[in-house]
Amino acid sequence: MKSLAAALVGSAALLAVAACSAGSGTSSGTSPGADQSLAIGLVAEPASLDFTTTDGAAIPQALLGNIYNGLVKQDETGKIVPDLAKSWTVSPDRKTYTFTLVDNAKFTNGQQFTADDAVFSIDRVKTAWTTSLKSAMDVVQTAKAVSPTELQVTLSKPSNDWLFRMTTRIGAMFSKTGVDKLATDPVGTGPYKFSEWKRGDSIVLQRNADYWGSKPYFGQVTLKYFKDPTALNNALLTGTINVIGTVQAPEALSQFTGNDKYQVIEGTTNGEVLLSFNNSRPVFKDIRVRQAIRSAINHQALMDTCWAGRGKLIGSMVPPTDPWYEDLTGIAPYDQAKAKSLLQAAGATGATLRLRLPTLPYATSCGQVVKSQLEQAGLKVQIDQLEFPAAWLTSVLKGGDYDMSIISHVEPRDLRQVFNAKYYTKYDDPTLKQYLDAADAGDEATQIAEMKKAARRISEQAAADWLFLLPNLIVADKNIQGLPKNAITESFDLSRLTR
Amino acid sequence: MNRRLNPSLIVGGFIVGLIVLIALLSFIWTPYDATLVDSSIRLAKPSWSHWFGTDKFGRDILSQLMVGARTTLFVGLVAVGVAAVIGVPVGILAAMTPRWPSEVIMRSNDLLLAFPALLLAIMFGAVFGASTLTAMIAIGIATVPSFARVIRSGALQVMRTEYVLAARAAGRRPVPIAVRHVLPNVVSLITVQASVSFAIAVLAEAALSFLGYGTAPPTPSWGRMLQESQEFLFSAPRLAVFPGLAIAVAVLGFNLLGDGLRDRFDPRLEDRR
Repeated sequence: MKSLAAALVGSAALLAVAACSAGSGTSSGTSPGADQSLAIGLVAEPASLDFTTTDGAAIPQALLGNIYNGLVKQDETGKIVPDLAKSWTVSPDRKTYTFTLVDNAKFTNGQQFTADDAVFSIDRVKTAWTTSLKSAMDVVQTAKAVSPTELQVTLSKPSNDWLFRMTTRIGAMFSKTGVDKLATDPVGTGPYKFSEWKRGDSIVLQRNADYWGSKPYFGQVTLKYFKDPTALNNALLTGTINVIGTVQAPEALSQFTGNDKYQVIEGTTNGEVLLSFNNSRPVFKDIRVRQAIRSAINHQALMDTCWAGRGKLIGSMVPPTDPWYEDLTGIAPYDQAKAKSLLQAAGATGATLRLRLPTLPYATSCGQVVKSQLEQAGLKVQIDQLEFPAAWLTSVLKGGDYDMSIISHVEPRDLRQVFNAKYYTKYDDPTLKQYLDAADAGDEATQIAEMKKAARRISEQAAADWLFLLPNLIVADKNIQGLPKNAITESFDLSRLTR
Repeated sequence: MNRRLNPSLIVGGFIVGLIVLIALLSFIWTPYDATLVDSSIRLAKPSWSHWFGTDKFGRDILSQLMVGARTTLFVGLVAVGVAAVIGVPVGILAAMTPRWPSEVIMRSNDLLLAFPALLLAIMFGAVFGASTLTAMIAIGIATVPSFARVIRSGALQVMRTEYVLAARAAGRRPVPIAVRHVLPNVVSLITVQASVSFAIAVLAEAALSFLGYGTAPPTPSWGRMLQESQEFLFSAPRLAVFPGLAIAVAVLGFNLLGDGLRDRFDPRLEDRR
């Protein structure tokens, strides 16, 4: 597969489908007639509702799995399971996928979902999408509708990654006649339909009465967006919202932990908080400088200081929920003396680096710790803040005008997308590419082995520093059930929630 | 009562002098490096080694307050400077020009006066990027109208004095009159207005930094210290108390100083006694 420079940088923890940790009352068919509403507090409001042209994790978080279905999706264990495709077969050469589609799905504009829509959606990624994620579909040679319920997709080469990407936003199924107003009025086949978007405040979703699967419990769900983490906490305390989708002020968690009215859920996410390096800068061309920075950072102290010790230390771009996870924190242990001597050897002692931070709570907070720790090792760090998303996406992600930045990459399995010469990390490494290509083309065991090599490679090469993995930190009213323990997909699946 | 050394002037002068001293001292000495992160002592309670305790980064709060005083004074100076450099000439110009141009100047002045200073600063921050500099300039511009208004009224009085009338009769050009006669006579007004505006600038900087549109981390700023203490309001409220007190005392000091200076200079008060 081609390199896909994914722009999946999101604000913070993306919450997900995943495990029904807090008991799964859903299946017992809690009568969907119960007309109850739910309000969820989130951060970083989407800039648009169209993820085909706009980057940002907040859009699929709200829409994927709720308004849009894919052919396939991930279950709580990460396994790929049927969604709009009832079943599928793969040809022996692993290049042709034949999907059998459900015959009772309808779009909210009244149109029936058929294989033609699937072909349209897959082709449209190549023709109309503008985000860098679209390259995930480059491997598709042809998609054709054999019958209204049978779809055949032929790849140019075997790819493990393709079917997985079909569980993400890339695989969302659109209506042939419903893509005119994606930015403001999305049309899908999902359990919810779009109702209203009050800009700067909230997105309201209504239960889709014609949904082809089992109906969701809540009749109306409001996704309420907050800029200020304290205001988000207060909204739950005052009953304005029922769930904090992702806690942004972990120090203030003590307000909830001791309180019987609330439940606190803590797990892992795909959100690797990266101290990214602009590898095209002369100073970062020297591996000793990159390694020095990794050694200069005391990761445990950093996580304790800036995120109240919540999260997980990771030594590479793989969260523990992925099959090829290994604990690689030993590759760059905290060693200030080593950092100093590496910098000395590279002649970079006293060099000034610009750390450009997005205005997100974890970045602002951790940036100050990074600055202090790097300065103790002999570097000079200049911090400036860029408004997130607009200014940061323009200057850093698209413009590449930075030396270092801090951002959580929440896209699932995003190692290839992030460490790529075309992405803002400007990391060009043929060896890495070789491992990744082998992983994509091989069988399952090969994939795992090669991905492990890739993860080790970027860690040893110090392509960036991994500060920590954001925790999936949810606080909710005690009686809300179905919230995910680990956030492993791009979407916040509302259909699993009950009261 | 001795008008020359009234209590407001003494107390205000003392507080302001103290803040200036602390700010100057912070250039050569603080108990600790104000931006040094030390996770092992985070959220330490006040003690002999850290008089005001430490914040969530383990930074010494006293040191931060001292360096923060620098930021506060610097913002105040530049903002008031901008306001005075624009406001004083505008005020004098309005006083010396004939009726309709004067009206145009003062009505546009009123227009700016009606515009909330914070909103202007946030707009500036959004357009030019949030920094101490944009905050200072925005606060300065927003303070121009009050300067212009006060200076104009003072200048109008001066323009009616006999020596100015004499100078005009003798054919002196307006600019020399403004510089030679009007300006020296409104200096006391400028001083008073500067002191009061300083207090407003201090508050505005704190508010902007609190909202994330002011001083960027990790440069210490009282407003940002307040903001960072938000999530600890339940667990460590002292984090909010110290910067809050510092802001309150500084604003009080500048206001008292302004009051005192007004009492000291205002000729009308003299007549009344």
